[in-house]
Amino acid sequence: MATETKYVDAGAAVDFKTLSTMVGSAPPVAKGVAYERILNARTEEPHNWLTYYGAYNGQRYSPLDQINAGNVKNLTPAWVFQCGSMGMHSGASTYSFEASPIVVDGVMYVTGWDGWVWALDAKTGTELWRYKHASPYDVSLCCGNVNRGCAVAQGKVFVTTLNAHVLALDAETGEVVWDKVYGDVRAGESATVAPLIVKDMVIVGSSGGEFGVRGHADAFKLETGERVWRCYMVPKPGEPGSDTWPADGEAWARGGANCWITPTYDPDLNILYFNTGNPCPDFDGAVREGDNLYTDCVVAVDPDSGEIRNHYQYTPHDVWDYDSTMENILFELDGQKLLGHFDKNGYFFILDRTDCSLVRVVPFVDRITWGEIDAKGKVTPRLFPEKEGDPVHFWPGPAGAKEWTHAAYSPKTGLFYAPVQDIGATATRRRREFKESIPYWGAGVAVDTEDVAGYVSAFDPATGQEKWRWTNEQPMCASVLATGGDLVFAGAPSGEFRAYNASSGDMLWQFQCGSGHHSSPSTYTVDGRQYIAVPTGWGAWTEGFLPGMLGAAGGAALFAFALPE
Amino acid sequence: MTATADKTVLEGLEKQNGVTLGRVLGRGSVGEAEEGSDGKMHATVRIPLDELVFEPRLLVLPHGGDLELEIINDDNNSHCAVLPSNGDLKFIWLENFARGTASLNLDGPGYYWYGSRTGNDEGRGLTGTIVVGGEVPEEARLDRPHQPRP
Repeated sequence: MATETKYVDAGAAVDFKTLSTMVGSAPPVAKGVAYERILNARTEEPHNWLTYYGAYNGQRYSPLDQINAGNVKNLTPAWVFQCGSMGMHSGASTYSFEASPIVVDGVMYVTGWDGWVWALDAKTGTELWRYKHASPYDVSLCCGNVNRGCAVAQGKVFVTTLNAHVLALDAETGEVVWDKVYGDVRAGESATVAPLIVKDMVIVGSSGGEFGVRGHADAFKLETGERVWRCYMVPKPGEPGSDTWPADGEAWARGGANCWITPTYDPDLNILYFNTGNPCPDFDGAVREGDNLYTDCVVAVDPDSGEIRNHYQYTPHDVWDYDSTMENILFELDGQKLLGHFDKNGYFFILDRTDCSLVRVVPFVDRITWGEIDAKGKVTPRLFPEKEGDPVHFWPGPAGAKEWTHAAYSPKTGLFYAPVQDIGATATRRRREFKESIPYWGAGVAVDTEDVAGYVSAFDPATGQEKWRWTNEQPMCASVLATGGDLVFAGAPSGEFRAYNASSGDMLWQFQCGSGHHSSPSTYTVDGRQYIAVPTGWGAWTEGFLPGMLGAAGGAALFAFALPE
Repeated sequence: MTATADKTVLEGLEKQNGVTLGRVLGRGSVGEAEEGSDGKMHATVRIPLDELVFEPRLLVLPHGGDLELEIINDDNNSHCAVLPSNGDLKFIWLENFARGTASLNLDGPGYYWYGSRTGNDEGRGLTGTIVVGGEVPEEARLDRPHQPRP
């Protein structure tokens, strides 16, 4: 006779974080962060890093100068935060630590892959709280399991998730305040962008440009999550710009132009400068004849209405996967309101940001064979995958002469600093049917593993001239940080985090972090001590931007460097 | 190579230390959660004696939301479960012949793995799947004509 099992009562499952040394709460420093403080982030509180680029202008410049060209040789790790990987998650081989840490009065807010958000003590690295979003294992990701950061305002931390939610978390506890879905994972959409706070809104954009979606940016109310507007970056038939798409068929509906990198913002002009991704299919232009607006553009958007005011297209009718999602850095020169942009296509553009007209365009990488852009901005394509089955090699490859990782501009030196990738690729056109959620490239692609190079370069925006170059064996794939200490920081794919003299380009210091860099370092002070924070952890779309380093070590650490006390 | 495997091979894949050392992940039984009057979904998974699997291996939720999951360890060894949920991973220790619960929130659609992080339970087969069906809310979808799916 069967006997009934007398079970041990295992109770209820607990939050995993309770089985750690995590503190559980953070001081209420984020309560006072509002739009007005972010407006003056660089002038009023240089000790903080309040927003994704450090300031709305996207300069990635801090006036902090305790760490400077004279003493940087003494820089040493103050603390390291490690997060590792748990269980089976999407992009198990592609997760990468790509964020830019936000710092508010001694508390660091930083995101990892797969829905992780942490509040850390910025002085010690102690984990104050964590949030983990449950991300589907099978979500469509073109470029790995990554997230580029968070935004902080009004006592909340805002973050996007792989399954295209935007969340508001309580900045003291990490608990969800509101949660809105703004993308369709069944259509191949996802989200990796670091949100931007503008006025009483949080601004986000969609990912999914390799899956034939229709790119968009969205604004939500900070307090409630109520949607304020959505701005599609590919016009519907009849809308302005729709004549740049085929009149028949639905190419526009699968057109791409995703906004997967944070925009910059000019509060005086009240314009958001969105940066849009490639058209889709990436390499098969014959199914989408025309310029394909607003792909590969800077798009000037009214933040109050979400309406497009202006644009400039960096690569019309792109058939090389030359997203223009990388930043548009706002700066002034001789009284002119300008923006600077290093595009995947290998050209450095200076635009008048009041009307998005071209001021200057110059190449910033040695090898450009896809085509040519003359001084007036006229684009002449030369090499591209045109005939079915015919391989075509071109430089730069689809990762671009500069990837999404960011340049910096120092108002002190008046120079731009860019991480540069000199790497080509071969694309062979392979037409395919469109099906939702299936990659829609229209080609087979192999990126070069040999004959590649990289550099950190300084450019004078007044002339477009390269002022200095520091050459690296591999392409440089991480964001640059410029400081008032006459320094430029940049991480290498081989793991070294380096400091350069901002005026000469001389390398002054380096530290081997053990895994490659593909993130955006930031800097701040706590109790008068300056720190440089850099997430490290090689991964993501390595086969696209540096396949010669596919076998390099992964990682999951955030280093905070400081001078010895 | 043959397109279909020999019966012996198939049988050997459905037990511990057969063809493989453990159990190949992603194969096996499928169960469905039930909608409760409390607005939550309810389901039970068990760890059978000496099989090192969760039964059902795939648990299907009709849509995203809250799941009240009962977990029963019928094995004469101790295991655990690390489960996905919005907010944080959930952890429960499961001694021999133990029964517990986990309250999960999953917003889907898509699927999620969970497993026992004891020894290499995960590799031996104690890795289960929660599948969330359905669509995203209407307001999150793209404004475009209906598009073909695979």
